[in-house]
Amino acid sequence: MNAPIIDPLQGDFPEVIEEYLEHGVMKCIAFNRRGTLLAAGCADGSCIIWDFETRGIAKELHDKDCVAAITSVCWSKDGHCILVSAADKSLTLWDVVSGEKITRTTLQQTPLQARLHPGSAKSLCLACPLSSAPMIVDLNTGSTTVLPVSVSDTGAGLPPPSRNKFSDGSPPFTPTAACFNKYGDLVYVGNSKGEILIVDHKNKQVRAVVPISGGSVIKNIVFSRNGQYLLTNSNDRTIRIYENLLPLKDGLKVLDELSTSCDEVDEAEKLKAVGSKCLALFREFQDSITKIHWKVPCFSGDGEWVVGGSASKGEHKIYIWDRAGHLVKILEGPKEALIDLAWHPVHPIVVSVSLTGLVYIWAKDYTENWSAFAPDFKELEENEEYIEREDEFDLMPETEKVKDTDVNEDDEVDIMTVENESVFSDSDMSQEELCFLPAVPCPDVPEQQDKCVGSTSKLTDSNHSGSPLSEEAGQNGQAMNHASSPVEGNIILF
Amino acid sequence: MASDPSSEPINPYKLKQTLAAHKRAVSAVKFSSDGLLLGSSSADKTLRTWSTSGDFSTLQEFHGHDQGISDLAFSSDSRHVCSASDDKTVRLWDVETGSLIKTLQGHTNYVFCVNFNPQSNMIVSGSFDETVRVWDVKTGKCLKVLPAHSDPVTAANFNRDGSLIVSSSYDGLCRIWDASTGHCMKTLIDDENPPVSFVKFSPNGKFILVGTLDNTLRLWNFSTGKFLKTYTGHVNSKYCISSTFSVTNGKYIVGGSEDNCVYLWELQTRKVVQKLEGHTDTVISVSCHPSQNMIASGALGSDKTVKIWTQERD
Repeated sequence: MNAPIIDPLQGDFPEVIEEYLEHGVMKCIAFNRRGTLLAAGCADGSCIIWDFETRGIAKELHDKDCVAAITSVCWSKDGHCILVSAADKSLTLWDVVSGEKITRTTLQQTPLQARLHPGSAKSLCLACPLSSAPMIVDLNTGSTTVLPVSVSDTGAGLPPPSRNKFSDGSPPFTPTAACFNKYGDLVYVGNSKGEILIVDHKNKQVRAVVPISGGSVIKNIVFSRNGQYLLTNSNDRTIRIYENLLPLKDGLKVLDELSTSCDEVDEAEKLKAVGSKCLALFREFQDSITKIHWKVPCFSGDGEWVVGGSASKGEHKIYIWDRAGHLVKILEGPKEALIDLAWHPVHPIVVSVSLTGLVYIWAKDYTENWSAFAPDFKELEENEEYIEREDEFDLMPETEKVKDTDVNEDDEVDIMTVENESVFSDSDMSQEELCFLPAVPCPDVPEQQDKCVGSTSKLTDSNHSGSPLSEEAGQNGQAMNHASSPVEGNIILF
Repeated sequence: MASDPSSEPINPYKLKQTLAAHKRAVSAVKFSSDGLLLGSSSADKTLRTWSTSGDFSTLQEFHGHDQGISDLAFSSDSRHVCSASDDKTVRLWDVETGSLIKTLQGHTNYVFCVNFNPQSNMIVSGSFDETVRVWDVKTGKCLKVLPAHSDPVTAANFNRDGSLIVSSSYDGLCRIWDASTGHCMKTLIDDENPPVSFVKFSPNGKFILVGTLDNTLRLWNFSTGKFLKTYTGHVNSKYCISSTFSVTNGKYIVGGSEDNCVYLWELQTRKVVQKLEGHTDTVISVSCHPSQNMIASGALGSDKTVKIWTQERD
């Protein structure tokens, strides 16, 4: 809605650290669908939900059963639930509004990543464990379905031999990356042979194979939000972008058609032939000078930008490319290794997590648009020669000056119709989306009222540090000691 | 007041109830978004809430401000109400118990106008200190100070998704701000710049209704910077009279006036379709019920009452 008046001259990617959020040691982050809430999983097993607009804490999800570090956080599409995977091999599904646990399952191994199925059911999720094949977990029953990770697999779940070996000689496993496509009917698995497998997770069948040249282990695989592009990050330090040639819905049907129309007799070749019609290599990104191992690559919300993090030598760097492959920006943060990264679904904002547990918010370095303050002024990119009119300085009689009356006041004005935002037009949800958590104001403490009077000099302009609750003594529900607290002497009541 | 041939004559609003409880001038009246409550603020330093069903009994009185109150606003869930006062503070109250929850300090002069955003996690306030401040409801911290104007700020409002703030001032300007960054997006000014006494967004957020102290109300399209409709016939040259959209039964603009009447204009034809008489002083504030055909109006010192007007059933 405010699109027509926002200045299009500025590039749409972040440039500087605007603010940082501090609360315990955060390990992984995820935005909800609209970017109004940011969920952060902590090292102590709790999950913090930040209100991204006020940069304050909206909710804390604690579970006394789970005190192991959180390995990944994932929102449901309607924003009502969060799936959390932890180092104690558990998966927990939380209800955001009530702050209550819905269900908890324990797996055989620690899931490094857990993603909820994009549908509305919220019972299925894809878990990528530390050292075995990815699996579909039914959160209600706890049953797991292991997905095949190579063509020779019949679903038994044995991963192919890889280069790494454990010291005790046991068969080595490597984490395999996987993700759902946009509507969740297919799972795209990236295995350690450098192949992308398109798997029908209901029937546990590999339907297509796309080999990556070089065949090095695939570490991350992720779709853009609109489902049109797929990104893979491989051990050969290259990020590859593929165009998704399958339709967003009914992908299985098209795969069936491609399969039957394919002439190949050999099963493996057939899968590769089908695969070549599902994904087309679009671009490759690498840093040819320093050959960085990329961490957490992902797309921007609109799919126009690709971002990859680098933590080599303990640095905190974020590389931003446009989809055509040009490196547009390198963001350098403080000397704390980067461990997680997320691009805001709507705004040109990137959020990164450092090893110390702080969450940094990167935004555009907005220079004030001074012409917005005076409507007659217009901003120019460069000097323009001004050509005077012939009659510019003629004295005109008053009657000549006609006021701009091209406004027909009888035209109908529509004050009620609201246009749907095109960014979120793919909503097919039955339940209404949760966009924000109701803010419950923390009551002022009566004896603090007097103290507050003298403290109003603290003006804002959010370049100052951290969250309002960073002064909290400890995060395990301890009430603050009033005597030692600075300006905002609030009791935090949960 | 001949009725336009293309529209039906309006079912006239009639006075239903007069609520006389304030001891000094009423400064603002607002319905809550669920329609169950009516709130009023007054120069007598109190807020009051009334039930909108039945006989409009008083629900709560809110005491705590040290000086008169200029404006009030309900949160979207109607659990909290905030007020702007001459004691330079904005206060946040619990609607049900009437107790004071928070005092937002920061303004350096009278706070004149206040509003919640639709998510009700932020409050915007405008003050005589020429700034607009955005506050975090949960902690009471001031999130942003916008260097909005060069004269007292008379109104500050969010649009329907909370992404924009519009502010108006005696300096004759209306400014639109990006709520998340605090940067100015646009300034609207006419050829002559009479002091702007009031501004608010239309229900769909595309237009703004602007009241100026030259007896005029205008509907602007702020993207193009041009006004589309002008409404006249009332008197408004001294006070910051609020006006609003009535959309429950046809589209109208409702506004107060210094000739003690409430004016109703048809939105499209701009004709005055009704004048509600009954107050004995300037009608300073009007509010429309979100779902019923009900208008509330509040008047200044010689009157001190809140009047409720409804349409008779057909």
